[in-house]
Amino acid sequence: MATVESKTPILQMRHISKRFDTTQALDDVSLDLYPGEIHALMGENGAGKSTLIKIMTGVYHPDEGDILLDGKPIRVGNSVEAQAYGIAAIYQEPMIFPDLNVAENIFITHRVRGAVVNWNKMFREAEDILAQLGVKLDVRVPSRGLTLAARQTVEIAKAISLKVRVLIMDEPTSSLSAHEVTQLFSLARRLRDQGVSVLFISHRMEEVFEVADRVTIFRDGKRISTKPRAEVTPEGAIRDMVGRKIEEFFAKSQTQRSDLLISVRGLGKENVFSDINFEVYRGEVLGFAGLVGSRRTDVGLALFGIEPADSGEIVYQGKLARIRSPEQALQLGIAYATEDRLRVGLTMPMSIATNITLPMLRKYLSALGLVKRSAEEATAEQFRQRLSIRTPSVYTPVSQLSGGNQQKVMLSKWLNTRPQVLILDEPTRGIDVGAKAEVHHIINDLAAQGLGIILISSDMPEIMAMSDRILVMREGKQMGIFSRAEASQEKVLTAAMGQSSEPKGRA
Amino acid sequence: METIKRYFRPEQLREFSLVFLIVAIFMFFGSQIQGYFSPRIFNRVTSDVAIITVVAIGETLVLLTRNYDLSVGSIVGFTAFFVGKQLSFHPDMLPLFALLLAIGTGALMGLVNGLIISYGRVPSLIATLGMLAIYRSMLVAYPGNKIVVTSDFPKWVLDLGSASLFSVGGFDIRPVVVVALLILVIFQLVTAYLPYGRRLYAIGSNPEAARVGGLPAQRIVLFAYMLCGTLAGLGGFMFMVRYGDLNTAVAQGMELQAIAAAVVGGVSTNGGIGTMIGTVLGAFMINLLQQSLLRWLRISNFWVDAFLGLLILVAVTIDAVILGRLRDIWARTGLETRPGGEKGPVEKEEIHAA
Amino acid sequence: MLRKLEWLKSWESLLLAILVVVVGFNAVSTPHYLQVGNLINLFHLHIEEIIVALIMTFIIINAEIDLSVGSVMGLAGCVMAFMWERKVPIEIGIAAALLTGVLVGAFNGFMVSYVGLTSLVVTLAGLIGYRGLAHVLLEDRSIGNFPEWFDRLGQQPLVGPVPLALIAFFVMLVIALVVLQNSGFGRYVYVIGNSKDAARYSGVNVRRVKMTLYIASGLISAFAGLLLAARLGSMRGDTATGTELTVITMVVLGGVSIFGGSGSLYGVLLSILIVLNLRNGMGLLNISGDTQTGVIGALLILSVLVPNITREVRDIWSRRHRAQRVQVVKEQKGG
Repeated sequence: MATVESKTPILQMRHISKRFDTTQALDDVSLDLYPGEIHALMGENGAGKSTLIKIMTGVYHPDEGDILLDGKPIRVGNSVEAQAYGIAAIYQEPMIFPDLNVAENIFITHRVRGAVVNWNKMFREAEDILAQLGVKLDVRVPSRGLTLAARQTVEIAKAISLKVRVLIMDEPTSSLSAHEVTQLFSLARRLRDQGVSVLFISHRMEEVFEVADRVTIFRDGKRISTKPRAEVTPEGAIRDMVGRKIEEFFAKSQTQRSDLLISVRGLGKENVFSDINFEVYRGEVLGFAGLVGSRRTDVGLALFGIEPADSGEIVYQGKLARIRSPEQALQLGIAYATEDRLRVGLTMPMSIATNITLPMLRKYLSALGLVKRSAEEATAEQFRQRLSIRTPSVYTPVSQLSGGNQQKVMLSKWLNTRPQVLILDEPTRGIDVGAKAEVHHIINDLAAQGLGIILISSDMPEIMAMSDRILVMREGKQMGIFSRAEASQEKVLTAAMGQSSEPKGRA
Repeated sequence: METIKRYFRPEQLREFSLVFLIVAIFMFFGSQIQGYFSPRIFNRVTSDVAIITVVAIGETLVLLTRNYDLSVGSIVGFTAFFVGKQLSFHPDMLPLFALLLAIGTGALMGLVNGLIISYGRVPSLIATLGMLAIYRSMLVAYPGNKIVVTSDFPKWVLDLGSASLFSVGGFDIRPVVVVALLILVIFQLVTAYLPYGRRLYAIGSNPEAARVGGLPAQRIVLFAYMLCGTLAGLGGFMFMVRYGDLNTAVAQGMELQAIAAAVVGGVSTNGGIGTMIGTVLGAFMINLLQQSLLRWLRISNFWVDAFLGLLILVAVTIDAVILGRLRDIWARTGLETRPGGEKGPVEKEEIHAA
Repeated sequence: MLRKLEWLKSWESLLLAILVVVVGFNAVSTPHYLQVGNLINLFHLHIEEIIVALIMTFIIINAEIDLSVGSVMGLAGCVMAFMWERKVPIEIGIAAALLTGVLVGAFNGFMVSYVGLTSLVVTLAGLIGYRGLAHVLLEDRSIGNFPEWFDRLGQQPLVGPVPLALIAFFVMLVIALVVLQNSGFGRYVYVIGNSKDAARYSGVNVRRVKMTLYIASGLISAFAGLLLAARLGSMRGDTATGTELTVITMVVLGGVSIFGGSGSLYGVLLSILIVLNLRNGMGLLNISGDTQTGVIGALLILSVLVPNITREVRDIWSRRHRAQRVQVVKEQKGG
């Protein structure tokens, strides 16, 4: 078969760079997309894949570099302009109009549709498009009840109706059943055969090998390699994705692990995660590793009572615990620091002191219910010192702090609740290297002081360096627990991707 | 079951229930109240409902986009009063002109609402709460007598109100009723068959998706408010024609009746759901129930409002709790691949070639 | 010094400027304006509204609304009047009225916090429903002839020239200030208004706070209804209709964002003074009540519209400015 590269590329990204505050999300990335190919984009979380496709669809604008469509430079200002150029993206949460029927969802954003809506014609055309994709879907029903797979199909149909030329899919299969994945792939193949360029981000090795024509691997904002599928091996791919040395990372000192704090057996939540089993001991850090969609956060939310589990048991310090609200969790001594720092982790307009004391506000109230500001200030100052929060005053609104300092405020807030078990969800995401190191020091100290820490992180070196043991999750299931000695980045990533860590027998 | 799912929407469940309820109310009260099926009650109910229907249809247009218009009562009142006054000063005015004056005034007032909300980005609650007061004060500040009496009107006004286009044994079909039915048909068609009407649903259903998809939401909402005002103006004209005597408290609170009719009729306060037929059925059922309870229990007129509030609450709670789930069940659909010409599901073993 | 400049640009300073203008205008155009009697009157004629404005401030900061306050005022007054008409001792009637407020508030709160309906719809239904119940009780009668002490408390000065209602307002103002700015509960109100989820993730019991607010609203509205009945000396089914517009205007004009999470009672206090002075001035100029209400409505809209428009203008201006600067930089870099 003639190589894809023999034709002219539809879309060319040339030397694209993009920086967010302290992170270089993309560093001189060039990528060509050809008509009639299925192109897989792989890499760890934070490697830059999402940023690139957001630039392609006009959600972000590149700091440097050009985008060429059919050889001509274009500027993509927003998603509507991208659509006009024939570039469409489908994300994990497809945006549909729940109260409109399927056919209407496909066509409603079209500019010119005629004076009167011809329902029969619309239904027929919708069915035609779906037939083109090899899918049968009842176009008359409201899209509210559609499964995720069906919604994706509707979005793809919408893209086709708008004559899409480059179809981008961001982790399209992470919540699909095996059967639905098969359907999606045959859909993708049909599109490819019609000359569309299909770019999809995926973590699933077997999927990439099943359907991709070419594979591009990103790491740390750079494009590492682009090869035809035939030249790619799972081991090679993982090596490309991981590739870096685990240098400058603060390694957790060996602390003596002591009492059992919390034991989780068979924990499950319908349609979210199932059969999770682990223990957390005083003085140890249990890392939770996994890729997008692994549902690690949901386990954390279950332990903290925000989204309680519906099966299994949690045994806390020897006693069976029912955790159905954050208040209950805090009373037990479990605290959870969210990954969504900006939206739910902190109250942005309010001061550092206010944020730190919020969960424990009760303890700062006088008999009349008034806030004892001096006590509050004292606490805030204590944490400012202890965690080296850089701020002119503890009354500064947290919105004015850097990401790293905001993270420290959030940590202070939870430390102030004197937890026994501290769950940290992506504690170093979006903060600079210096602050990262500081946070790692803090985690180390906390463990030494006798806390049990669950560290949820997508930063592989971080997990490797900081954890005493690593629990790997994939799509809501537990893939295994590695001790520090037996773990390696490759092993962990392999487990996170669902590959068995034993080499498969080859014919 | 599949055929049912194919050809009937969940909203129609609401419409059917309302029809059923209306029939049930008829039959129940018909057996309890003497002279229930009289022309007098029929004419009364239909004329009252006609006016509120027109206004409620306009309100529905706005509700569909996830907005509110609390000022329609004041718009109805102002146009009724304003046109009434003009007629008393210029009795030779052509009827058509009077009608256009009412509609035009309403359109203008709706336009102002729309500009403030759509382009001024003032939340619709605040904007229309304020406009409610402003329009009402315009009405009160109108120079001259604070009342208009039937004797001030040219004859055709009163004829229009009480005459009937045709009669079947005392059961009149009055012009106002015909107009209401016409408006119902027009706007049911608009919301079902015109791209503009469909976009109202889209905006209310998912404003974010509408924006990302490039729909001109601001213009669409502005026009919805204009239409709402126009219909309120028409309602004002109909009000004037039906009631004759007007004072400055005209149509006070009508916005609440309009919203109640819509909500009972299945329109969601969150936007994206509802039909004109539902709204009209809601208006009809509320009015019928009120009239019936009045005559049956001989309870005072004053239970009317308490009742209305309760109905809104019941309707909204039902929507939130029960219908939401029904809709999900109704619409649960999965994908089916075309049989033949497609590979079956791939088994795990047969994947990788070396 | 910099902080003073910041304050000058703030919403409160704008309100202060407007207040000075309004008071100045009134003082000039009406001879008796600055007399003590008139100033007391200024407050007294609308004292019930400003009392309710205090609790409405909390509710709007909490990112909710209560449209039923006027109707609850009416209902509570009617409950008392209804019982008085039936020769029940007025003390019991008063207790019943306050209890009504609590029950109504609890109902509203239940619907919003536990059933999860939007507060706009629930309190809109309440607006209609509770007013209807008030009409059911009193129909179109007007009940008066309350005990002499009741009327006296409502109309006559209690301490010096100051009537009971005004004293009650000041007491409640102080309590409100302390609670909102200095208590734990007040802080919860702000945090929840800022983000319900962020509050939940920090272990705040959101439901309990909202329930408390709505019960307080019901109780305070009932109290205000009783004050109104005493001041008027009579009660009708439609008493206190339309109060919600003025109350919401006072709060929103005071700089409290309708989306929740920000605002203070200081701004609300200033806007209360503005609205009262405006009303008083208009009254002295013989402007009708309905027209006054229209002006209040305009004030409400402008208080949100004007900041929006100025922000739009500033954004467009700064974007153009930035684009020019980028252009300059690009040219300097040699393109």
